[in-house]
Amino acid sequence: MASAMELSLLNPTVHHHGIAGKAASQLPARRAFSAVRFRVRASAAAPPAAKPGSPKKRGKTEVNESLLTPRFYTTDFDEMEQLFNAEINKQLNQDEFDALLQEFKTDYNQTHFIRNPEFKEAADKMQGPLRQIFVEFLERSCTAEFSGFLLYKELGRRLKKTNPVVAEIFSLMSRDEARHAGFLNKGLSDFNLALDLGFLTKARKYTFFKPKFIFYATYLSEKIGYWRYITIFRHLKANPEYQVYPIFKYFENWCQDENRHGDFFSALLKAQPQFLNDWKAKLWSRFFCLSVYVTMYLNDCQRTAFYEGIGLNTKEFDMHVIIETNRTTARIFPAVPDVENPEFKRKLDRMVDINTKILAIGESTDMPVVKNLKRVPLIAQLVSEIIAAYLMPPIESGSVDFAEFEPKLVY
Amino acid sequence: MAAQATLSLRPCATLAPSRGALPRAHAGFAPASRPAPALSISCPPRRLESLRRALAVESDQQGSVVVSEDQEEKPRSYYFLVANAKFMLDDEEHFQEQLQEKLRLYEERSKEQDFWLVVEPKFLDRFPNITSRLKRPAVALVSTDRNWIRFMKLRLDRVLAEQFDAETLEEALASNPVELKFDEPAKWTAPYPKYQSGWWEAFLPPKFSNGTA
Repeated sequence: MASAMELSLLNPTVHHHGIAGKAASQLPARRAFSAVRFRVRASAAAPPAAKPGSPKKRGKTEVNESLLTPRFYTTDFDEMEQLFNAEINKQLNQDEFDALLQEFKTDYNQTHFIRNPEFKEAADKMQGPLRQIFVEFLERSCTAEFSGFLLYKELGRRLKKTNPVVAEIFSLMSRDEARHAGFLNKGLSDFNLALDLGFLTKARKYTFFKPKFIFYATYLSEKIGYWRYITIFRHLKANPEYQVYPIFKYFENWCQDENRHGDFFSALLKAQPQFLNDWKAKLWSRFFCLSVYVTMYLNDCQRTAFYEGIGLNTKEFDMHVIIETNRTTARIFPAVPDVENPEFKRKLDRMVDINTKILAIGESTDMPVVKNLKRVPLIAQLVSEIIAAYLMPPIESGSVDFAEFEPKLVY
Repeated sequence: MAAQATLSLRPCATLAPSRGALPRAHAGFAPASRPAPALSISCPPRRLESLRRALAVESDQQGSVVVSEDQEEKPRSYYFLVANAKFMLDDEEHFQEQLQEKLRLYEERSKEQDFWLVVEPKFLDRFPNITSRLKRPAVALVSTDRNWIRFMKLRLDRVLAEQFDAETLEEALASNPVELKFDEPAKWTAPYPKYQSGWWEAFLPPKFSNGTA
């Protein structure tokens, strides 16, 4: 899961600690205020001048999260079992899952993730702010991939009895995610760091999503991950002078995994037409698209140094990724936002401006109470921008296997 | 493997058995359009046949595959997806990446190629229900691997799916030559250049020894 289900703005209410799901939802008292605040320390960014040769275990002391950090997800596994029980659910298109299983078993990237000495050399050359921002990029990506690994692994385990084919696909996807996370973590070792994934598994909060929302969210997360990675890859192929770290050379094959994972969620959604074919499904689809796009845009606009560091214009990059992801998503979701309407980008840009002001308040020396009072109107503005974007006329969409417009379509 | 041979019995728009579209019945080779039991019977001969075909096919220096004519070929089923050429070759850039990836894998694992792009395929004449809904020129993705075509239908979505039987590979992949040229996109906002036109040539059918393509 390359882009980490960056779904923070729609933060749901239930949190679990640990995969076992011990309920311990200690929500910060002022959750709403932290909503739009990003802390670089979120995943504990290290000082750039870490001593060589002394790998540090990260995150031992604290796991500091904000709403824009990649999340770990958990779901209602019993409901999942029901949904994929072929005896209860006669709609299941088992052919499609058989086809997917064959595709995942093929294992296109079995021998792809092999490192070479270039990594360490490139990391050593990287100094100053870029080095720090790179570390953060690796950490966030690694956390995101690892979060996919945990979720898929558990689903693979839980569905083994009710639907062995779907279960095996989940297991094979967790294989991919583990590979990706491991590769990124090895990248961190080039910077003399390592993420303690075992610790993260236990210490991070798990966000609970009902299965239906897991499908929408993971679909988007995988597809947007594909578009982010392929865009970076193709940009760097055309502009090799920005190729500062060899990990990007692996993105072309890597992101094909993400794309396939997305296809699987597409099949899962098709197997549950109730998640695709009514007005509620349309509202949820638009909501999830918008949440994912807005979160990415706000996130990336706080990290322009990274994108500029590899020669990209952050906003142009993001808009390209949003437009392409939206086009892809329109092949399955019954409705998607009209992101190609210029007003959509104007709204995103206003959200960035408001968010910047909110962040500036956090940096100021005011008393906490004063800070919060100052934030209230800005948060109201941000929320109203998001609602306005949500209410923009959407685009009717969907798979031709279901869509009402199919009979009129010329292929 | 047993699972792969099962056919959906419920009506399904994708890859539904094309009764009536089958040109002929074959003795000793069960048409794939019959329900599961018939298909599973057809599996062993097909596997043998693919082994035999693998021996009959050899690569020439350029890497393109030449099928020797004197080798006797048995009829088999081909599965395809079809849409207008612009969609298949110009709009869907991820499609190219996928085909390249598959070709790379086949080379790494020395696997005989079983998928092709066919420009304006002749077999479309057998499917008036498809041609009536198709912009031309059209391009088909053809494979003997039914599962993979099912997967590709899931990926591409805006394509029509069908299947047919043919006596030989040459017959199955026969096409009416047409020159493909796509206009430059009016608005190109990606931070990278478009893939080069003509990328699909690597996936066109092999040159057959009698010179037709």
